Order: sequence, then structure tokens, then C-alpha cells
Amino acid sequence: MKNLDSVFAAYLIGWGVFFAFYLSIAKRTSDLRADVERLKGSFSRSK
Amino acid sequence: MAKRIILGAASVLLVIAAAYAAFYVAPEERTMGLIQRIFYFHAATAWAGFTAFLVCFIGNLLYVWKREPKYDWLGVSSAEVGLACITIVLITGPIWAHPVWGIWWTWDARLTSTFVLWLLYVSYLLLRTLIEEPERRALLSAVFGIFAFLDVPLVYGSIRWWRTQHPSPVIMGGQGSGLDPTMKKVFFFSVLAMHILVAFLIVERYALEKLKSEVDILRREAEAQ
Amino acid sequence: MSLLSSTTILLGKELRTEFRSRELLTTTFVFILIVLVLFSFAVTPGTEEARQFAPGLLWLAILFAASLMFQSCFLREQVNDTLSSLRLAVSDPFCIFLAKLCANTLFLVLTELLMLPFFALFYNIPLWPKLPVLLLVLFVGSLGIAVAGTAISAISAQARMRELLLPLLLLPLLTPVLVVSSLVTASLLDREPVVQWKGIGFLAVFDLIFLTALWLFGEYLLEE
Repeated sequence: MKNLDSVFAAYLIGWGVFFAFYLSIAKRTSDLRADVERLKGSFSRSK
Repeated sequence: MAKRIILGAASVLLVIAAAYAAFYVAPEERTMGLIQRIFYFHAATAWAGFTAFLVCFIGNLLYVWKREPKYDWLGVSSAEVGLACITIVLITGPIWAHPVWGIWWTWDARLTSTFVLWLLYVSYLLLRTLIEEPERRALLSAVFGIFAFLDVPLVYGSIRWWRTQHPSPVIMGGQGSGLDPTMKKVFFFSVLAMHILVAFLIVERYALEKLKSEVDILRREAEAQ
Repeated sequence: MSLLSSTTILLGKELRTEFRSRELLTTTFVFILIVLVLFSFAVTPGTEEARQFAPGLLWLAILFAASLMFQSCFLREQVNDTLSSLRLAVSDPFCIFLAKLCANTLFLVLTELLMLPFFALFYNIPLWPKLPVLLLVLFVGSLGIAVAGTAISAISAQARMRELLLPLLLLPLLTPVLVVSSLVTASLLDREPVVQWKGIGFLAVFDLIFLTALWLFGEYLLEE
């Protein structure tokens, strides 16, 4: 079919951008959660 | 938390359903054929992006008025999601244009205005990275965000007028320029799906921003000890 | 003190400061000349093509000059923290913006007037036929540039990388001004000049919208 690869490329790239965006949010969130644990741990140790 | 998971699942399902509809439910367009099906994704994402920027504008106004950090979080979240949408619009536009017209880019009114829109919100996010202090950053970026949003209709209006003076190929077939009823239904379904997806991404990004501010508070407490 | 009298006093201060040294006007004027000369290398001068591009290049030059000119607007007030004194001196912070934007508009228009003869000379474009309307367009466009520029100057002065940030924030905002002013100027300088009143009206609307936005939200840009 004519132009099928263009249509696929468009949809895949589009979904790819959204997916990459979501992944970056998820990664930053888990990194921050790890930070929170670490900081809370250092509080209870210093008490 | 459960609500967020439901929202996420719903958005993924709706997006997949919308893609299915775009390929199998919508009739084939007469002149452009298969490539026209990009329209459902491209235009729906554009509408969702605009909605995100509207949410950003409301967040900016509310922050200036109430000075509560949550409105700043809303502003940056919706701006980022909106920018992701507009990036997709600017990528899928040329992918659509190239097979049909043989050119990657054309300064047609909508694409040009959308590019300026993209630049405006990139500037908004860049401004935020250049101000350290959280309250000042929130306030200054909120005011800039308000200016940027007020500028958007002026940008679109001026570039459309420019294009009537120097016409160029109208790529996107003119939205609503006689859309077949089934196409219209598929289109509005796609718009709904993209809006749910955008809502989900804004919620997730907002949660991240909220977490960031909690970590900052904890960090400052840790340093104080 | 009323808005008008405070603004007049502050405006007087702005004008006196500038006309003492005239450094802003002279450097901006020389810069615009340099930009016009550089453009002439990019576009073969004297040809029909140059004549078509010239109005757009004119406004580009004005935009670039404004991006540089407005840097000092609020940066100047950070030395010795004169901004705090200004804030205390007036009842309505909008006076500060109003005075600065009037001064900025004036400086910009003055620079443009000085530059016009050179523009006509370099690009072989007679300006006489529609000079009054041309001056009107220059004024309405420059006012828009000054309103946005003054606001953005207040923002960028409080951020890092301010020299780069100001054009980065300002130029996308001013796209409508560039587009419409170039179009109106082009049809004014055409072989058969036409006055596009719709365009001039659009510029006036732009000015009004941003002036109102500055009036509503400007004071938050000056907060401690």
C-alpha cells in the first residue's frame, strides 16, 4: 500500500514521544522516591 | 493512586481504539488515500495540546492570584505535556506533507503558527530553568505564561493574514472542510482519546512536581541539622 | 500622587538619564546600520528582490536593535538597587512601567527616524509618497515592541543568562508585530502604495492587549 510506511512512522513516532515522556516522568519519580527514603533514613539515624 | 492507574489504563485503551478507528472505521480519503489517516492523530493531538496550554494559562492566573505552589506545579506540568503534543504535531505534519507534496516543510499558516507556539512554550520552560528561587521562578514564569497565551491568537491571526497575502499550499486539507460524517465521528473520538491521554500525563507530571517540592523541604531540613 | 504625574516625573528621569550620555541611542543606531549593511550582503542590493525583502529586513533590524536596547532597561535599576527606591516613590507600580515604556518607545522611534534615510539610500526605496502613514506604522509597531520589551526586560533581569534570555523570550512574542508590520510597510513602499488599515488596526490591538496585560500583571514582576 502506498505511503503505509509514512503513516506507520507518524503514529509510531507520535506514540514514541508520549511514551518517552511518560518514561522520563516515571524514572524521575522513582529516583526521587529513593531520595526520600534515603533522607528519611538519615533523619532517624541522627535522632 | 488507584484513580491514576484507571486514568492511565483508560487513556491507553482509548488511544489504541482511536488508532483502530482511524485505520479501519474511517473511510479512505479520495485524493490523498492512506496518508490522510495521519490527520486523526495529528489534528487530535494539536487540539489536546491547545487544551494543555489553556490549563497552563489557568494555572498561571491562579498562581498569580493565590500564590499556592500547586498552581505552579499545574502550570509546568501542562506546559510540558502541551509541548510534547505540539512536538508531535510538528513531526507528523512534515511526515504527512512529504509524500503528498514532495516537500518536508511549508510555511503554511497552521504549521508556521504552531511552530511559533512551540517556541513560546519552549521559552517558558527555559525561563524556569534560569531562575533558582522557587517562588520567584513561579511568579515570573506565571506572568510570562500569561503573556505567551494572550499572544497565541495574535500569532495565529497575523500569520493567517500573512498567508492570505502570500498563499502557499494548504496542507491539512482544511479542518472541517467537508468532513464525511464517519470521519467526523472518528476525529472527535480521537480528540477525546488524546485529551484523556493528556489529562493522564498532566496528572503524572504534577505528582512528580509535588514530590520534588517535598524532597526539597526534606533536604533543607536535613541540611539544617 | 496621581498616575499621570508620577509617570511624567519618572519619564523625565528616564529621558534625562539617556540624553546626558546618549550612549543607548548612539550604540543602537550604529547597530541598526551595521545590521542593514550586513543584510545587503545577504540580499543582492539594488535588485527587485532586494526591494521586496527590504521592508521585512527593516523590521528585523528594528527587532534585533530592540532586543539589545531593552537589556539595560531594568538591569540599570539593579545597580544600587534603585528599583526599591522607585517602588517606594510611587503609589502604583504601573507608573514605573509606563514611564519606561514611553521612554523606550521614544528611543526606538528616534533610532528608526535616524535610520530611515540610510534605509532609503541603501535599498533605493523612495519614502516620500507615504511618509506620514509610514511614520504611523513605525510608531504603532514600535509601541508594541516597547510594551513587550519592557515587560520581558523586567523578567530577564531577574534570571540567569539575561543577555540571551531577553531576545529568546521577546522575539517569539513579537512575531505578530514582525509579520504585520512588514506586510503593511511592504505594501506602503510598493510601486503602487496601498495603505493596509486592517494591519495598522491589528498592531493597535496588539499594543492594547499587551498594555492591558502589563497593567494587570506588571506589578508582580517588580515584587521583592
